[in-house]
Amino acid sequence: MRQRLAISVISAGVFFSPLLFAQTASKEKTAKDQTGAFDPHDLSGKWNRVSPFQTYSNVPGGANELQAYILGQAPAPQKLDVETAEAPFTAEGKAKFDKNIPSYGRRITAPMLGNDPQAMCDPWGVPRMLNGQVAGPHATIEMVQLPDRMFTFSQWHHDYRVVWTDGRQLPKLDEVEPRWNGYSVGKWEGNTFVVNSLGFDERTWLDHNGYPHTDQMRLEERYRRLDADTLELVETITDPQYYSKPFRSDTKIWKLDREGGKTWDEQIYCVPSEEFKFNKLIRDGNVGK
Amino acid sequence: MGKQLISYVVFGIISGAPIFAHHGTSVTYQTDKTLTMTGIVTEFSFSYPHPQLYFDVKDADGNVQHWGSEFGPTPLMMKNMNLGWTRDSIKPGDTVTITCNPHRVPGSTACLAKELIINGKKLPMGGGRPPTQGKE
Repeated sequence: MRQRLAISVISAGVFFSPLLFAQTASKEKTAKDQTGAFDPHDLSGKWNRVSPFQTYSNVPGGANELQAYILGQAPAPQKLDVETAEAPFTAEGKAKFDKNIPSYGRRITAPMLGNDPQAMCDPWGVPRMLNGQVAGPHATIEMVQLPDRMFTFSQWHHDYRVVWTDGRQLPKLDEVEPRWNGYSVGKWEGNTFVVNSLGFDERTWLDHNGYPHTDQMRLEERYRRLDADTLELVETITDPQYYSKPFRSDTKIWKLDREGGKTWDEQIYCVPSEEFKFNKLIRDGNVGK
Repeated sequence: MGKQLISYVVFGIISGAPIFAHHGTSVTYQTDKTLTMTGIVTEFSFSYPHPQLYFDVKDADGNVQHWGSEFGPTPLMMKNMNLGWTRDSIKPGDTVTITCNPHRVPGSTACLAKELIINGKKLPMGGGRPPTQGKE
């Protein structure tokens, strides 16, 4: 059932936010470059997601309340109206969702009491790599096209995925071993780049709100370059065990980060020796014990 | 537990806004409260996922309690803020006066740094000036 969600935005306290870095110093460049020519079949570049949902879909509690303010698109404080809809869970899918305890969204729980796989430095996997809760230039994606494949690099966890574009067919589900980023093939349908994937490791979440999937999940991604600086992505998963019908993402919008693409290379590995010390002493509050 | 090792001041609400970080900061710390204390730095870990400052706080009776505080941004983000100080600006043995949000776990000695004074000099934590995108 659809509902209207009015989110109050408060500006105080954002200065420690990684999202503050989404404040696009390249706004002037973007405006100028939007008039430039572009090849709709070239998706190369560093892309920062700017659409409000930092979750797989427009689920309740999935919008980043501060995004519009951070991106300079609205003053703060302000109201951001976003339309939301809950995932079409099966009973089994809902039960699995309830077992995933996130540190974001409506079910926000202290990380020490949660079970987000990223706390153990597990890979985000696909599609979470596309739906991460952190924005550019701090953590975003870069796409690189080669004649036979496309790479998508993720700053977060310093990961990448491969999309084969050499004309091969997607294998059957029982022919591939489940893996973190799945097995992906892509092709152009007009000016839309369509990626179909399967063979996912079911330990990953779709996003930081804890939406689950099985290893039977199939994913379709549809990319369109709307202008020189704007990329659109819509994802749809089909996973009948957990979702009663295909589960479509919101329409995600990405902006080309020309300046950050030249200079920003944070190399955000999740290093267990650093992460676990942080978790034990700081996150879990055990410093002096 | 015996003596209160430190004295601290809890200020009023300074912000009810969630602080977005990848570790669920807003549910880890009491972001509506702050405490201020002075101690001696034992370690400054300018590392991922967030920089951490460890320090000892001594009360009037000489009892020492070990504390730790995280900074919200990542190291490269802090560097990019052009804060006027670096990873070498804090060393073991330095005197630190810190204002921070206390952890939600009762009795915890971890907190989220808000203001930092090292050897009498205030080190900006960011906030007044947006980062310069892309520079390092």
